[in-house]
Amino acid sequence: MRLEKCYFCSSTVYPGHGIQFVRNDCKIFRFCRSKCHKAFKKKRNPRKAKWTKAFRKAAGKELAVDPSLEFEKRRNVPVKYNRELWQTTFKAMKRIEEIRIKRQNQFILNRLKKGKELRKEADVKEVETNIHLIKAPTGRVKTLEKKMVQVIQEEDDDDMEEV
Amino acid sequence: MAHYNFKKITVVPPAKDFVDIVLSKTQRKTPTVVHKHYKISRIRTFYMRKVKFTQQTFHDKLTQILTDFPKLEDVHPFYADLMNVLYDKDHYKLALGQINTARHLIDNVSKDYCRLLKYGDSLYRCKQLKKAAMGRMCTIMKRQKQSLEYLEQVRQHLSRLPSIDPNTRTLLICGFPNVGKSSFINKITRADVEVQPYAFTTKSLYVGHTDYKYLRWQVIDTPGILDHSLEERNTIEMQAITALAHLRAAVLYVMDPSEQCGYSIEQQIELFNNIKPLFVNKPLLICTNKVDVIRLEDLPTEKAEQFKVFEESGIPLLSMSTLTEEGVMDVKIQACEKLLQYRIDTKIKGKKVNDVMNRLHVAMPAKRDNKERPPCIPESVQSLKKTMDTDVKSKKKSLRDLEIEEGDEYTVDLRKHWNLPNEEEKYDIIPEIWQGHNVADFIDPDIMKKLDELEKEEEMREQAGYYDNESEEEDDEMKEIRKTARKIREKRNIIMLESKEKRRVEKPKLPRKKMSTDKMNRELGALGIEMDSDEDTHLNQMRSRSKSRKALKRKREESMDVDKPRSRSRSVSKAPRDQSGVRDAKMARKVKTIGRKAQVPRNREAKKGEGDRVILNMKPKHLFAGKRKGGKTDRR
Repeated sequence: MRLEKCYFCSSTVYPGHGIQFVRNDCKIFRFCRSKCHKAFKKKRNPRKAKWTKAFRKAAGKELAVDPSLEFEKRRNVPVKYNRELWQTTFKAMKRIEEIRIKRQNQFILNRLKKGKELRKEADVKEVETNIHLIKAPTGRVKTLEKKMVQVIQEEDDDDMEEV
Repeated sequence: MAHYNFKKITVVPPAKDFVDIVLSKTQRKTPTVVHKHYKISRIRTFYMRKVKFTQQTFHDKLTQILTDFPKLEDVHPFYADLMNVLYDKDHYKLALGQINTARHLIDNVSKDYCRLLKYGDSLYRCKQLKKAAMGRMCTIMKRQKQSLEYLEQVRQHLSRLPSIDPNTRTLLICGFPNVGKSSFINKITRADVEVQPYAFTTKSLYVGHTDYKYLRWQVIDTPGILDHSLEERNTIEMQAITALAHLRAAVLYVMDPSEQCGYSIEQQIELFNNIKPLFVNKPLLICTNKVDVIRLEDLPTEKAEQFKVFEESGIPLLSMSTLTEEGVMDVKIQACEKLLQYRIDTKIKGKKVNDVMNRLHVAMPAKRDNKERPPCIPESVQSLKKTMDTDVKSKKKSLRDLEIEEGDEYTVDLRKHWNLPNEEEKYDIIPEIWQGHNVADFIDPDIMKKLDELEKEEEMREQAGYYDNESEEEDDEMKEIRKTARKIREKRNIIMLESKEKRRVEKPKLPRKKMSTDKMNRELGALGIEMDSDEDTHLNQMRSRSKSRKALKRKREESMDVDKPRSRSRSVSKAPRDQSGVRDAKMARKVKTIGRKAQVPRNREAKKGEGDRVILNMKPKHLFAGKRKGGKTDRR
């Protein structure tokens, strides 16, 4: 039993789900659901459909090239069963998964950092150019006044105490 | 041969339907449109065509019927006689003759009317002639109603007759009713003839087929025959007689010594003697049926004596019981043998045999000397035979043996023969899938090495600060800026929505209510402008009748000078229209461009100004004339 990848969206196809299409040149296309199957029949390019993993990797939105991704590879020559090997592989798999997830999240965070910078700059520019919408040129800022009032009050209190 | 065609006779429709078929065919296959103003020759050919077509169709259909029905002279005399018995030869011939005359009459009618049509001078006259012709043809057909009905029934019955080949090997079974003829045929062939305790259960001939010596034999079951003269026989018995008379077959005369059929042995022997002339030139066999009831030996002597007659005349006497199947096969074999012998004899006596015999030659090689020449078998084959003979059981226990041994609890052990480096691990449960990944994709002998490398790399990255995600704490200033930016965006969205609301003119709008001073104070306060509460500002002055308004001081222009003419001065209390509401120079420029651009569509339509609504031509012809090719009127 094997978990396959959908040809269109690259999601895992579990047993009992989806459709397989075998073309005349013996290439097998597996689809996870009819959405992908129909898109394929309409000759859509998965690299252009924004919601697929193929697009995301090709457009650099997700981690595509990384040593932690090299571990999971379809091997055509099966290895004879060896309990020890299987056990170590299992442990390794768990660790690899952790590392991979960590790296992927970091990649996405790095990508989004730039957006933060841009937004900061946009805010500053906005305030500079359009402040007139909330504050008249001659208006005074009320908060500062309040603070000044507070300070005066404190001084008065101090004076009162002194006296 | 002839009997095969009986199933392929065309259906004879009843007279009414016949007429309907032909007339509708004429309607469909000939042109239908003709007008008064056509040339007369064209009209004439039109109607003549119709008449001729109807005649042709009738002729064809009737010819088809006449050719399909068998001619009694052309068929085998057995069938001719059978048809005579069943359908009455005279009636049959008469019906067919009438059909023939009808055909002839229709032809004549058509000829006559075509001749008349040649001289028709108007459409009406031609049409009447055609009507008359068709009417006459149809009446002729309607008169044939009885014949057509009779022929249809004949056809249906004919097609259901059993297909008896008069020339092949046949066994014919005859005797009194209820003696056991149908049971016998049921036993030796696959025929399923009805067997019932009452007489005349079998009302017609039935055919079965059986095999003997790699040849096909027909077995014919006849209805029972009673003992009276030929003239008194009814149709059912006549069928049996016809079969007896015409078919060259071996005759099996079945008798019932137990007299269960209701007729005594004497009566049966009487009948036998009466129909003896029919058995001339046919191999004959007497079978006594129902021996399970009473055996020939157990019969009282008087009755047994009567059977001696047969022995004297050399006719073989056989016993059988169709109930217990005792002797049935014997009878069949004897009958077949006898018939075969008879047929061979006749063939040899005839002339055709010589042709075949001249071509055959059986070679019998003579012995050369007295030497023994046995068959030669090689040594290896002999030794192999020996090993196969001795029943040595193989040491290995086969899987099948194991299966039998374990019985219900047997399960196929596919892992028994696995060849692993470590034998104990053969029966381990191997995981295949974990958390959406295939375990088989990760299996690699060097996986630990690679994992170590990866871990090292990971450490290095962490040390290098790759995973440091501390966003700098924003200082207060930045926070303020963010807050104000958000406020600005909100305010802008509100302004946009308000302007959209304003522009969306759906209902007539009431003029604005007066803005109250509190509201104004609030709004200006939000923008940061404080209103000073001076007494003599416009806002604080209440308009009441009692108080008279002071004359407002206005700014005086230089134009108050005496030198300048008064007309040149303008009051400056109202701002000029192209400057009111304009904040700064940038806006002024924008206003100008908007104004210029608003003129463009009007100029394109050569309008003098915004108030020019003149339409020179209210109803241009190209939009209001013509057929509806230009589209519906609301889209023109």
